[in-house]
Amino acid sequence: MLAVAKLNHYYGKAHVLRDVSLDVGTESVGVFGPNGAGKTTLVHAIVGLVRPRSGDVTFDGRSLLRLPTHEVIRSGVALVPQERELFPYMSVRANLESGAAYIPGARKDLPAALQASFEMFPILKVRARQLAGTLSGGEQRMLAIARAMMSSPKLLILDEPSLGLQPSLVTELFHKVRNLGERSAILMAEQNVRQSLKAVGRGYVIENGQIALEGPSDELLRNDHVRRAYLGL
Amino acid sequence: MTLFRTLRRWQLLLLLASLGVPIVLMLWKPYVLIEGLQRGGLYAVIALPMALILGVVGIINLAHGEFMMLGAYFAYWMGVYAGLDPLVAMIPAVVAFALLGAITYVLTIRRALKAPELNQLLLTFGMAMVGTEFANLMWTSQPLKPHLSYVYSSVALGKLRFGTYAFIYTAAAIVLLVLLQLFLRKTRLGRAALAVGQNPRGARLVGIDVNRTYLLIFSVSIALVGALGAMFLTRHSVFPSAGSPFTMKSFCLIAMAGIGNLPGVVWGGFGLGIAEALVSSFRGYGGWADVVFFAVLVAVIMGKSYRRQTA
Ligand SMILES: Nc1ncnc2c1ncn2[C@@H]1O[C@H](COP(=O)(O)OP(=O)(O)OP(=O)(O)O)[C@@H](O)[C@H]1O
Ligand SMILES: [Mg+2]
Repeated sequence: MLAVAKLNHYYGKAHVLRDVSLDVGTESVGVFGPNGAGKTTLVHAIVGLVRPRSGDVTFDGRSLLRLPTHEVIRSGVALVPQERELFPYMSVRANLESGAAYIPGARKDLPAALQASFEMFPILKVRARQLAGTLSGGEQRMLAIARAMMSSPKLLILDEPSLGLQPSLVTELFHKVRNLGERSAILMAEQNVRQSLKAVGRGYVIENGQIALEGPSDELLRNDHVRRAYLGL
Repeated sequence: MTLFRTLRRWQLLLLLASLGVPIVLMLWKPYVLIEGLQRGGLYAVIALPMALILGVVGIINLAHGEFMMLGAYFAYWMGVYAGLDPLVAMIPAVVAFALLGAITYVLTIRRALKAPELNQLLLTFGMAMVGTEFANLMWTSQPLKPHLSYVYSSVALGKLRFGTYAFIYTAAAIVLLVLLQLFLRKTRLGRAALAVGQNPRGARLVGIDVNRTYLLIFSVSIALVGALGAMFLTRHSVFPSAGSPFTMKSFCLIAMAGIGNLPGVVWGGFGLGIAEALVSSFRGYGGWADVVFFAVLVAVIMGKSYRRQTA
């Protein structure tokens, strides 16, 4: 569904993505790596928030590389950004609605999608009329995920969804992500390798802008480098 | 950037004051109330498009008053060559200034969106200078004004006799405020504009074409201020620097109300109009009217930051 081929990106002289290639089919895929490895840059390149110098990104056979972000999103990709990027002075409900209102195919299913969001994160229903900017960090994270799901995307990209969540919520979150995988393909950048590996079928390890390892989750779990560097075993 | 927010306590106080002060004034100095609402309406209606641009596009358009001035010239020449009344000329002005706004956006503003704020200020300040000098070269610095008899209409209420025409500015401010609020809250395009104003990256990520939204809001705002220039011309003469005080006052009103607070801009406009009229009503103190404007501004901004520190 999504194919990233030999992507290179520079910030000034810093070479932050080096020949990165990866594929996402209909399954859930993880991208793991330490701070500064280039995970956020990679997902930004996919949705057109940064313009890579070389390489290609195709989605359902169509190149995304020249498309502006809003067209990438309208073609069926949704991103839950690391910084959440909500509308702080709009209510929780208005934020959710914004997730479907500007996607032509998703508009007519807006009420059902809203219902589904409230089922997935009941706290959002309680907070529906509150301004998004006044939510706690964790609640904002849930709102960002729910907003992205409002358009029923073919591919959902999550950039460090567990950041700032309490441990019990992290477990619950990855559980939910696994369920979301039944509705959308998932690409998830994470640092919490131990828990997120259980939510994905396959993973890539990215270090210094390069893919260092890739394989099915259970293989990565047994890999010595992963065990030492990411699982602390 | 709030394009609207829930009513806060100080806004309630303001609301009470805005009801109480007029009642007192009506009994004590009715002319001040009338003059204040008329003058304040003009300030408010002209400030609204500038507030829209700042709230959505995030640009302080220091050429705002110059677009109004050009709109007034446009209406004047429409009167001379096509025999149009300035109020009728508002219609072609909307079209012409939407186009001018779009061209200005594409050629200049769009390129400065990512530039530091200081550069953006310099850019729009430069545009203001170009506008003024252009008018100067084309039409000299001589004030121009069409003769319109209907602006002298007046009514008598008991012993009170006053001009009614200038209430057109009061009405225009309220109508434009209501229309803009409806647009921003009820239409998909308006909601998209609110989203863009609050978080452009977030807006892109929900599928909004941010660039098109900027273009649209900028053109619409310039179209509005151009048409308002025509309305301005019915009561005032136009000359090259006629617009610049309105840039200043619009900016002050927006600073007082807070970015994105459109109703605040209108109430602020009425408040300042009344304050100015009050000062002018004391014989010999008329020259202090402008000082009052800025004194109120400084007081409000200091009051706001005080509240922020104690909150
Ligand atoms: N806008 C920018 N300008 C310059 N350098 C940048 C910019 N954004 C990121 N970088 C650099 O690029 C590298 C990769 O950053 P990126 O945000 O993609 O990492 P990440 O894997 O998402 O890290 P984290 O886990 O901390 O979020 C880092 O070294 C960072 O300093
Ligand atoms: Mg990151």
